[in-house]
Amino acid sequence: MTPDLIYGLTGIAVFGIGLVGALCAQDRLRRVLALKLCSVGAGFLLVVGAWREPPATTDPVPHALVITGIVVMVSATAVALALIRRLQTLETTDEH
Amino acid sequence: MTDPLVIFDMLLALAIVALAAASLSVRDLFSMIVLFIIFGLLSALAWVRLSAPDVALAEAAIGTGVTGALLLKTLHHLRYVSGTLNQQTALGVTPVAPVPMGIILANAGFCGLITLGLVVAFLGAPATGPGFDALVVEAMPQSGVEQPVTGVLLNFRAYDTLMEVVVLLAAVVAVWQIERGLSEAPAPVMGEVWQGFARLALPAIVVVGTYLLWVGAEASGGAFQGGAVLAAVGLLLLLTRAYVPQPAHRGIARGAFVLGTAAFALVALLVASGGRVAFEYPLEHAKTLILLIEGVVTLSIAVTLAALFHGREPVALIEGGPNDT
Amino acid sequence: MSIEISPMILAVFVPLFGAIAAFVLTRVAALIGLATLVLTTGAVIWLARDVLAAGAIVLPLGGWGAPLGIDLRADGLSVAMLALTSAVGFLVSIAALDSLKGADQVRQRQYFWPLWLLLLTGMNGVYLSTDIFNLYVMIEVIALAAVGLTVQSGSRAALQAGLEYMYASILGALLFLMGVGFVYLQLGRLDFAGLSGAAPTGALVAALALIFVGLALKTALFPLHFWLPAAHANATAPASALLSGLVVKAALYIVLRLAQYMPFPSENLLTLVGLMGAGAVIWGGVQALRAERLKLLVAWSTVAQIGLIFVAFARAGELGLTESWKAAALLILAHGIAKAAMFLAAGRIKDEIGHDVIRDLDRTPIRPTLAQFTFALAAISLIGLPPSLGFIGKWALMEGAMAAGYWHWVAVTMVGTLMSVAYFSRVFAGFLRFDRVRAPLGEHQGWALADAAPLTLALMAIGLGLLAAPLLSFLEIGYPFGVAP
Repeated sequence: MTPDLIYGLTGIAVFGIGLVGALCAQDRLRRVLALKLCSVGAGFLLVVGAWREPPATTDPVPHALVITGIVVMVSATAVALALIRRLQTLETTDEH
Repeated sequence: MTDPLVIFDMLLALAIVALAAASLSVRDLFSMIVLFIIFGLLSALAWVRLSAPDVALAEAAIGTGVTGALLLKTLHHLRYVSGTLNQQTALGVTPVAPVPMGIILANAGFCGLITLGLVVAFLGAPATGPGFDALVVEAMPQSGVEQPVTGVLLNFRAYDTLMEVVVLLAAVVAVWQIERGLSEAPAPVMGEVWQGFARLALPAIVVVGTYLLWVGAEASGGAFQGGAVLAAVGLLLLLTRAYVPQPAHRGIARGAFVLGTAAFALVALLVASGGRVAFEYPLEHAKTLILLIEGVVTLSIAVTLAALFHGREPVALIEGGPNDT
Repeated sequence: MSIEISPMILAVFVPLFGAIAAFVLTRVAALIGLATLVLTTGAVIWLARDVLAAGAIVLPLGGWGAPLGIDLRADGLSVAMLALTSAVGFLVSIAALDSLKGADQVRQRQYFWPLWLLLLTGMNGVYLSTDIFNLYVMIEVIALAAVGLTVQSGSRAALQAGLEYMYASILGALLFLMGVGFVYLQLGRLDFAGLSGAAPTGALVAALALIFVGLALKTALFPLHFWLPAAHANATAPASALLSGLVVKAALYIVLRLAQYMPFPSENLLTLVGLMGAGAVIWGGVQALRAERLKLLVAWSTVAQIGLIFVAFARAGELGLTESWKAAALLILAHGIAKAAMFLAAGRIKDEIGHDVIRDLDRTPIRPTLAQFTFALAAISLIGLPPSLGFIGKWALMEGAMAAGYWHWVAVTMVGTLMSVAYFSRVFAGFLRFDRVRAPLGEHQGWALADAAPLTLALMAIGLGLLAAPLLSFLEIGYPFGVAP
C-alpha cells in the first residue's frame, strides 16, 4: 500500500462523487461545488502520477499542470457564481 | 508491515472521501461550504504527503480559500441581498419539484459504473510511469531558475501559464459584463455568514497555510500562491470596507488586470530575436526576466482574484441608466 | 537586433493584445477589434503561404521542443480552421458594428470586443496546439469568453441558458482534464507525437473515453446537446453566429485531430459514435420541425448538422478513414460559414420585423428581403444542394460510405437531408406567402451594413463549393488525415 495507490483511488472516488453531484444536484450552488470536487479529483490523479517512491524526486511537470488547473477552475467558478447571483437578482425582481 | 504512515494515509483518504460526499449531501448550504473548505484543506494535506507542497499551497490558498470565499459571498447574496427571500432559498433548496429518487439512483449508479471503470484503468496503469523527470533534470541548468516547478511554469511550459493568466482575465471581463449595470449592493458587512467564515475558516486556513509554508519552505512560493495571499489581503480590505471600490478606480483596475498578461506576452515576443523563438529567454537574462514576469503576474493575479470576489464593476449610484442592457 | 516572429505566434498573440487593448481603451474598442481582425487575417494568410510553400511547420516554443516544451504546428487542416475563423470572425465583427450601435448598448459594446477577441485567441490557440494539456487551457479560455458572449443581452432567458452552458462547459473540460491525467499516467508525456503509436491499454482507453465525452459535451453531440439550443437561440445575433459557426468547431476540431493520433478505437465504438450522430440528426431535425421561433430552429439545426459530422467520423471504419475525415473537415468548414450567415440573417429578420415567431413570418407588412435571401442561400449550403460547400461535404461522405458498403450511414445522411429540407421549408413558406397581410407592404428598409456581412458569408458558403478541389488538396498538406508520406 503506497500513498500513490491510496490517494489515486481517493481522487477517482472524489471525481465520481463530484460527477454524481454535477448530474443530480438541483441547487445551483451545489452544482458548482460538485464541479469543483471533480477538479480536485482530477488534480489528485495528476499529483499521484507525479509521485515517485522516495528517495527519487517527484516529476515537477504535473505539479505545474495542477497549479494551472486550480487557477483555471477558480476563474470558471467565479464566472458561474456571478451568473447565479445575477440570475437570482433578476428572478426576485421579476416576482414583484 | 503496518507502517503508521500508511494508516495515516488511509484515514486521511477516508476522511477526504467522506467529506466530499457529506458536503454534497448536507442540506444546509452554509454547512456544505464549511465542509468543502475542510475537504479542500485535507486534500492539500494529502498532496503534501505526495511530496507536492507547491500544489498543496495553491490548492489551500486558491482552490479552497478563494473558492470558499466566493461561495460564501454568493450564498450571502442569495440569502440576504437580492430582495425578499423565501424559506426555501434560505435553506438552500431551489424551489423546484424534487428529482424522483429513481432518477437520482440511476444517475448515481451510472456514475458508479464510470468510477469503477476509472479505478480498473488506474490499477492497470504503470505504477511508476515514465515521466518528464529526466528531461527536467537535464534542462534545469538552462532554465535560469532553481525550482523545478517554477521552471516548468515560467519557462518550459510558459505558454500554458500565459494562457492560464488569460483565463483569469477572461473571467474578470465576463464577471464585469455579467454584473454590469448593477448598482452597489448593501455593504457585505461581517454578518452571520462572515462571522462564521472568520470564526471557522480563517483560523483553519492560517494554521494549515503556515504549516504548508513551513513544509514547502525550500520550495518556492511561486506567483500563484503569492498572488492568492495578496488577494486574501485584498478580500479582507473589501470585507472590512477599508477599501471601497470607486468608479474612478475602474481604469486602474483594468490596467492591473491586464498588466500580467501584457508583460508576460510582451517578454515572450521580445526575446524572439537572434535565432531564438518566442518564450526562449536568453540564458544570461533568464533569471531576471522570469523574476520580472513572476512579480508582475503576482500583482495581476492578486488584483484579479480580489476583483472576482468583489464581483461587479464599481459604478456610481447616480449614473443615468444603471440598467442598460 | 531584430525580432523574428512566426505567423503562428502572431495568430495567437495579435488577438490577445487586441483583447487587452479593447478592454483598457473602451472608447475605441470597436476600432481596435476591427484592426485586430484585419491583422489576424493577415497573419493567417502569411501562415497559409508558408504552409503552401513548405508543408507543415513546427515551432518549438521556448526552444525546448516537445515533450518537455510545447510545440505549435500548422498544417493544411489547422490553417483551414484558422482561415474559417478569421473570415467568419471578420464578417461577424462587421455585422456586430451595426447591431451594437444603439445608444443604450454602450456597455454591451464595451464588453463584446474584449470577450470576442479573447475567444479568438483561444480558438486560434486550439488550432495550432499539439499538446493535450495546452488544449485543456485553451478550451477553458474559449468557454469563459463564450459564456460571456452568450449572456450578453442580460435577459433572464439568456442568463439561464448561459449558466447551463457554463455547467456543461466546465464538466466537459474537467472530463477532458481527467483524460489528460490518464494519458500522463500511461505515457508520461502529453504531446501528440507521444500519443501516436501507443498501445491501447486500459488507461489509454479510459483517457480516450473521458476526452471524447468531454469534447462531445462541449460540441453538443446528442444526447449531450441539452445546453445548446437555449444558449444559441437566446444570445444576440453576432454572438449566436460566433457560437454556432465557430465555437462548437473548436471541440470538433480536437476530436478530428486526436483521431489522427490516438490509438484506433474498435469498430463497435465507432458505430456507437455514429449512432449518437444519427440520433442527433433525427432528434435535431424533429425539434427543428417543432420549433416555434426562427433562432431556435436554426439552433436545433446546428445539433443535427453536428450529428452529421460525427456520422462522417463513424462511417470511416478501417476502410476509407482518410476520405471520411476529409468529408468531416469539409462539413465543418461548410457549416461554420453557412451557420454564421444564417444566424446573422435570422437576427436581421428579427430586428426588422420585430419578432421571430415562424408562424407569423408571413403576417408582417415589412419584408426584410435581403436578409431572407441570405437565409435561403445559407439554407442551400446547409441542406447540401449543389454547388455549395455543404453539397461537396455531404457528397464526399456519401461516396465514401457507399464505397465502403455502409448503406445505413447513407440512409442516415439522406434522412437528415430530407428533414433539413422540411424544416427550412417552414421558414421559406413564411418568406414567400404574403397573402395574409391586409395592410400595404412596408417599404424596404434600405441596405444596412449588417446585411452585407451575412450575404457575403452565404455567397462564400455557396461559392467555395466550386473551389472544392484546391481546398481538398490544401487540407491534405502535412498529412493531417493519417496518410503517412
